Amino acid sequence: MPGIRAAALAAFLLPAAAPAQELPVVKLFTTGGTIQSLGKDRLKLAEYREGRIDGATIVEAVPEASRIARIEVEAISAVSSTRMGAEQGLPLARQLTEELARPEVAGAVVTHGTTTLEETAYFLHLTVRTTKPIVVIGSMRPWTAVSRDGPLNFLGAVRTVLTPEAAGKGVLVLLNDTIHSARFVTKRHTYHIETFVSPDVGPLGFADADRVVLYRSPVTRHTADTEFDLDGIEELPQVDVVYGYQEASRAPIDALVKEGAKGIILADGSPAYGNAVLEARAAGVVVVQGSRKGSGRVVLSDRTAARGEITADNLHPQKARILLRLALTRTTDARELQRIFNEY
Amino acid sequence: MSTERALATAGAALLAGAAAAAQEIPPLPPPGSDLPHVVLVSVGGEIATGCETPLELAGCESGGETFAPETWTRDLPDLGLVARIRTEDLRAFSRADGGAAPEHWFGLANRLRQLADESAVDGVVVTHGAAGVADTAFFLNLVLPTRKPVVLVAAQRPWSAVSGDGPLNLYDALRVAADPAAVGKGVLVVANQEVHAARDARRTSPYRMDGFGSVDLGPIGVADPDVVRFFTEPTRRHTHRSEFELAALPESLPAVEIVAAVPDAPGRLIDASVAAGAKGLVVDGAAGLSGGQREALRRARDQGILVVATSATRGGRVPETAALRDSGIIPGDNLTPTKARTLLQLALAITTDPAEVRRFFAEY
Repeated sequence: MPGIRAAALAAFLLPAAAPAQELPVVKLFTTGGTIQSLGKDRLKLAEYREGRIDGATIVEAVPEASRIARIEVEAISAVSSTRMGAEQGLPLARQLTEELARPEVAGAVVTHGTTTLEETAYFLHLTVRTTKPIVVIGSMRPWTAVSRDGPLNFLGAVRTVLTPEAAGKGVLVLLNDTIHSARFVTKRHTYHIETFVSPDVGPLGFADADRVVLYRSPVTRHTADTEFDLDGIEELPQVDVVYGYQEASRAPIDALVKEGAKGIILADGSPAYGNAVLEARAAGVVVVQGSRKGSGRVVLSDRTAARGEITADNLHPQKARILLRLALTRTTDARELQRIFNEY
Repeated sequence: MSTERALATAGAALLAGAAAAAQEIPPLPPPGSDLPHVVLVSVGGEIATGCETPLELAGCESGGETFAPETWTRDLPDLGLVARIRTEDLRAFSRADGGAAPEHWFGLANRLRQLADESAVDGVVVTHGAAGVADTAFFLNLVLPTRKPVVLVAAQRPWSAVSGDGPLNLYDALRVAADPAAVGKGVLVVANQEVHAARDARRTSPYRMDGFGSVDLGPIGVADPDVVRFFTEPTRRHTHRSEFELAALPESLPAVEIVAAVPDAPGRLIDASVAAGAKGLVVDGAAGLSGGQREALRRARDQGILVVATSATRGGRVPETAALRDSGIIPGDNLTPTKARTLLQLALAITTDPAEVRRFFAEY
């Protein structure tokens, strides 16, 4: 194990230890991913087994976090992020809602694999009714690697939870000292440390060495202000993403309609989609126009709005999918759905 | 070709474009409709400048002149679709390269305050030279006690340029100023279809179309073809939440000079600044100070001069390290040197307490 020495992290301006019982509680929910992974040796940066490191090991490795908070660990899963979905997301959202209602709990940190981290983070952003900070973290390098980022991301997340300005800003995502809103963040690189970005808007702030700063507050709706309610919801409607490219055939759309999908997000389009989309709509499937470009809103035109088309704003297709799944629990009306895409 | 003719040509080209799409452009709403009231204030700038030829893209090579604000409403009647516009000509406040000269900042701020206080006015747009727009915007952001949108707009190309960005920037600035969602977000800078918060806006290129950015952060919204959309809002104090009182500030702010940290520089620029009466110093790149500069700063601080450090990396905050604290230097957060200078000038106008100044840099 590469030892991050306590002294290296003690350079942070942390207050002197208070009696543990007086410290605020920070919940640590672990789901797996690279931050909990084990490589064969320190130089295996991209080859490792996920979910092998548990939450207690992370907490022990960063004693500075326990000097400022009482960390309570809950394991949700121990999987790679590509295996995450509503199956883990629904119980996670419920547990977060319940735990954050405890007065002694200051907020929560969630570990997650990085590939779909933004999807779970946005799901929580839309469903957990709280003003307390929830910070989703991952790491780009395995727990066992040289120059691993996991410990500092964890400490940064705990410090962020304890920062008063972090309250009411929705679910935050923190890697590489940078604090993003779950609404805007996306993974932009396969393995670099500087990977998470918020195209179009930029981050909200930074967990810097001297203090946590938040320069921005999201104005889209989230958490305490959400209209989505998970009460009584056991599963979410099926929504899939169809990618647009030159000469793309309509086969995926037809197959999804046949399979019973309730919604389809188009990541750009293809001439072949025209009729397929009309038929899908006629069959009651909601189709939302998104973009594969990674930045910029899909602009509404009077003509498309009159046809009842719905656009995904600047949500990436994978996030538009999360929002549409939740929206479909409330309505199938095109105008209502567009309102939801405009507001969240 | 005379400037007037060049402008007429540029205007005709704009109108020809409008005529080609005439069927799709709805007629101007009749007077008395409930469009918002926006005052369009000209302090000049590229956006208010006509050059001799349309290919003078980076300023007028052969001389040009700024025109009166009525030229905009004449060239772009479409502006009337967005708001009921009243123009005001404050080009007298501009300096040679366009935009408000700092000696006119208070004059500009006082007039903008009057305009914003008019109950019939919903928002104000101020045109400005691209070079100084971010600095003027930050000053106004600190002293204007209003919640109404005050939007600064600039262009990278002269108004007379082919494919000039001025017309769309102006149109977008008016839409933002007329948008209720812009209320309470502080002074804004609109360019290239993006909406920036004054504190963080910077010019990032001397002539490219994407010439403005909010380094470290990003725009807080977009002026898209369909709607103006805000994604975030600034959390630092500004306008109606600022404690700098315009009426109580002296029009002549304490002198503050900017000194670049240079590893082998003697400290004489610092000594000279102090001898010339500087009450504060902004050191750009504190980590790279030479021994001579450090000694000169010590001498300056012994005389009660306050020193603020900015980061020469042009991104990222200056962290409050033990070394910085011990040397009594105040971290300038992630402000540019010129913005740190403005904040320090305003701070020194009301206090010389280092702890108070430190708080200003953490809160604004």
